[in-house]
Amino acid sequence: MIEKRLSMRDGRRLVKPSAYGGLAIILFLLPLFLKSPYWFHILIITFVYIIATVSLRVITISGQFPLAHAAFMGIGAYASAVLSKELGWSPWLTIPLGAVVATGIGVLIGYPFARLRALYYAMVSLFFGVGIIQVLYVFQRWTGGYSGLMGIQPLLSATTYKLPYYYFFLGLTLVCLLALYRFEFCRIGISMKAIAQSHMVASSVGINEARYRVVALAVGCFFVGLAGAAYAHYNLTLSFTSFDMLATLWLFMYTLIGGIGSFAGPIVGTAVLFLIPEIFRELKEFLPYLSAAILFIVVFVMPQGLVGLPQLIRSWFAELRKRVAHAS
Amino acid sequence: MELTVTTLINMLVLSSMYILVALGFAFLFSIMGILNFAHGAIYMVGGYICYQFAVEYGLNQWLSLLLSVLIVASFGLFLERFCFRPLFGDLNRTIVVSIGIIVVLENTVNILVGTSTRSLPAFVPGILRAGALSLSAERLVTFLIGGALLAAIIWFIRRTKPGQQMQAISQNLEGAALQGISIHRISALACVMACGLAAVAGCLMGAFLNLTPFMGDYMLVKAIELVILGGIGSMGGIFFAGLIIGSLDATLPLFISGAASQAVALGIIVVILLFRPQGFFGRELII
Repeated sequence: MIEKRLSMRDGRRLVKPSAYGGLAIILFLLPLFLKSPYWFHILIITFVYIIATVSLRVITISGQFPLAHAAFMGIGAYASAVLSKELGWSPWLTIPLGAVVATGIGVLIGYPFARLRALYYAMVSLFFGVGIIQVLYVFQRWTGGYSGLMGIQPLLSATTYKLPYYYFFLGLTLVCLLALYRFEFCRIGISMKAIAQSHMVASSVGINEARYRVVALAVGCFFVGLAGAAYAHYNLTLSFTSFDMLATLWLFMYTLIGGIGSFAGPIVGTAVLFLIPEIFRELKEFLPYLSAAILFIVVFVMPQGLVGLPQLIRSWFAELRKRVAHAS
Repeated sequence: MELTVTTLINMLVLSSMYILVALGFAFLFSIMGILNFAHGAIYMVGGYICYQFAVEYGLNQWLSLLLSVLIVASFGLFLERFCFRPLFGDLNRTIVVSIGIIVVLENTVNILVGTSTRSLPAFVPGILRAGALSLSAERLVTFLIGGALLAAIIWFIRRTKPGQQMQAISQNLEGAALQGISIHRISALACVMACGLAAVAGCLMGAFLNLTPFMGDYMLVKAIELVILGGIGSMGGIFFAGLIIGSLDATLPLFISGAASQAVALGIIVVILLFRPQGFFGRELII
């Protein structure tokens, strides 16, 4: 009996990595089957937002709610774009720099407030997110104002041929996801979870709340700034509306729909909410209704988000089996 | 001299505008603890319904306002019953549902209305003049109605039975339930009132500014600013927060550009929060 249980556990342990590995292999081989550049574009955007939502989730692990996450994406994007445009530096240099700028500003804002209750940081980040758009508008000589910033240096030489970009973003996403996964399950990540669960107990064990909260912020902002900067050099144009408060709320949507409790949650949520509307593009102006329908269904039927779906189906079947057993 | 008086009047008008919009949101958030992000969208829908009645059907404008309030308030009833009640206490999912509602409302209005900008005719046409100063009667009416509603809400919470029940619920949920207060019924009442307030704000502001399907987004941010600065749990705090934010938004653009003044105002709010995170009159949150 015990051996059986142990072997089950061993077998189960390989399910997740093999699922990820299988998915990665499928994505690598996808260009053999899929030729449309439009679909590559959609997948690239999905990859960018997957990095953004997973880094959002990493911050929420420590119990905080960064209601300015899209703004940090914008900071990374605009920093990298402006640096490469004004100073002529190569995007390969400015993209990491953009991420560093986003991290620096994130730590600057977070540090005074990380020591207070998490709710206060949430409010301040909300205001900061709104304010940063205004600040970007003020410097519109460099950022282009509401008409947008155009003519950004492309990352790779070919711009209309999407395949190199596809592989670049696939690789970038895999690396970022690996880093964030390792971060969540290393000692720092577990300490952060402890803080989120009960900050009193965590402090009593010697975990420095404020420092770990700031570390979580720094890591989260770095990756989302990286994603934003890479996006800027792919899309070649930037506009404020991609980075305002509603964008942050949508990032939260993707995470919550997928399931905030698990690492795969944001990935699933982003993929679903990006790809399904694209499949049904013929609906055109009725598309938002489809997204809203997905939101409502997941909220009311699946409290744990989409990753909870196998669990939910399993419990339904168990319920059904029980009823059939009782009836017979 | 005239500039000062005009600025002062602008301050009061802007403050009353923000307070009017924030009232419904604050009502739900401070008293019931429900974060209703859809408030902006409901405010917008209120304005559009009023437009429909006043301009398309040609009814009297005040009657249209009343009808809009009734329709939106009943929508609030539906909202509470099906969206907020099943998710009571679960902040994450409440946010998701609110966003879903925003998407549905804004998209519906967008489809029905298209890209034409519309504007409600003024409720009280005419301009008052006093010497070299002029003030449109519209703004005065908005200011008076905003102030009157704020006072009415505060009176309602302090003096009437349902209002005191709401206070009890916000202080201690289980204790209130033990006293026999029906949480669901009071929540429904709060939601209906909040949506009604949003509709009034939408109608009055629709006469001021143009009606667009997305005007709710900007006002939602202002409402959140007011509530957080004033303090969660306090309706009186809205008044002072509204005055401060209204003053900042009226005076700063005189010195620096519009967007910079927004950024500076937010920066000032953040600094205030640094020293007093719970806002002016907020309770110290124990989280």
